[in-house]
Amino acid sequence: MMAILVIDDSADDQLLLRSFLQQEGYDDVMLAGSSSVAFDYLGMSDQDSKASTIDLILMDIVMPDINGIELCRLLMKDERFRNIPVIMVTAHTNDSNLQGAFDAGAVDFIHKPINRIELIARVRSSLNLKHETDKRIQREKELVESTQKLNKANQKLRYLSYVDELTTIANRRYFDEFLAKEWHRASRQQKPLSLIMIDIDFFKDYNDTYGHTRGDVCLSQVARTLSGTLKRPGDFVARYGGEEFVAVLPDTGIRGAAKVAETLRANVQTLGLEHKSSPIDTVVTVSLGVSSAGPAPHSEPDVIVTLSDKALYRAKQEGRNRVVVHRHE
Amino acid sequence: MEADNGRIVVHIDPDIEDLIPGFLENRRKDMATITEALHVEDYETIQRMGHSMKGAGGGYGFDEITDIGMRMETAAQDEDRDEILGQVQALSDYLERVVIVYDA
Repeated sequence: MMAILVIDDSADDQLLLRSFLQQEGYDDVMLAGSSSVAFDYLGMSDQDSKASTIDLILMDIVMPDINGIELCRLLMKDERFRNIPVIMVTAHTNDSNLQGAFDAGAVDFIHKPINRIELIARVRSSLNLKHETDKRIQREKELVESTQKLNKANQKLRYLSYVDELTTIANRRYFDEFLAKEWHRASRQQKPLSLIMIDIDFFKDYNDTYGHTRGDVCLSQVARTLSGTLKRPGDFVARYGGEEFVAVLPDTGIRGAAKVAETLRANVQTLGLEHKSSPIDTVVTVSLGVSSAGPAPHSEPDVIVTLSDKALYRAKQEGRNRVVVHRHE
Repeated sequence: MEADNGRIVVHIDPDIEDLIPGFLENRRKDMATITEALHVEDYETIQRMGHSMKGAGGGYGFDEITDIGMRMETAAQDEDRDEILGQVQALSDYLERVVIVYDA
């Protein structure tokens, strides 16, 4: 139900306007003979009001206590009332008044004495405008909400795309991206970067003996242990492949990395996951290959991955459950 | 306007029938107010009332009242006592002779 506010100091005109409007089905018509009554209907002094419930204002230009054009300007300044269409209804018909009214923000202008048909036509048109404006504002609000939801969802998606589903540590995708970042940062800052490849010993045998479900549990537990061992915020471990993990240690030289690698190995062994088909121990163990570099400008990190991988291979060859450090020959 | 035995017949929108008695009564009050204002030479009040009548009359269906109001407003701007009195008389005369038919 559209609500219409009439602001006019002439009681005769107030009543006439209301009568015409109500005949047309606009039952909610408020009459104000002064600016203070008008302000009350608008809820102007109510600090908490978010928006007005009034859909249209019919206003005379000249009133004893306030100038209609001034009032119009006041309304346009206030965000709560800016969208209410204002139609000036007045016996003053000189052009400067007309111009002043439109400059102040009025959308339309009706002469007095009032022509009923003209009045209704203008009212209907302005109320349509208001209705469309209200819909637009509602859509904009919904759009903002949708965009926020979308951004949140995208954030979540991005996060999920970096996480290995089984172990919940970082996945291969994350590793590739962030190794590249850290590599170039190390190059820029002239700091060393270390990388540790980690592989679970006799994992195929573990699966064959205990089944794939327990194999998955084993992977998760090893991952958690590796992740928990890395204390520094810049360090991270990711799942590189099936039973293979990789740890990246920024700002770390070979000696530091070797120490960390040994701790990783020891913590996995201490986990004590039973592995009766392992020929080298009664529990699950890991082999580790370590390498370090002071990245040259415009170089790529592949080299450090390859060297760690080679060191890992040697660890396997030399009996497993050990750390091999790549040394520059 | 139709003249018939000195009566003035006016056709008015039947939808506002309930407002008419009040409107005409207000005009009678206006005449008294204007006459008093004239005594103390308060032309501003008379101008305002003329302006008001000008705006309201035709809307209700009384075009003649709009005309009287217009002439009253101008007369007050000119501080023309005689003209003002003349218009008051015209209004009085009109109100006496007017006959309303609701069928606009």
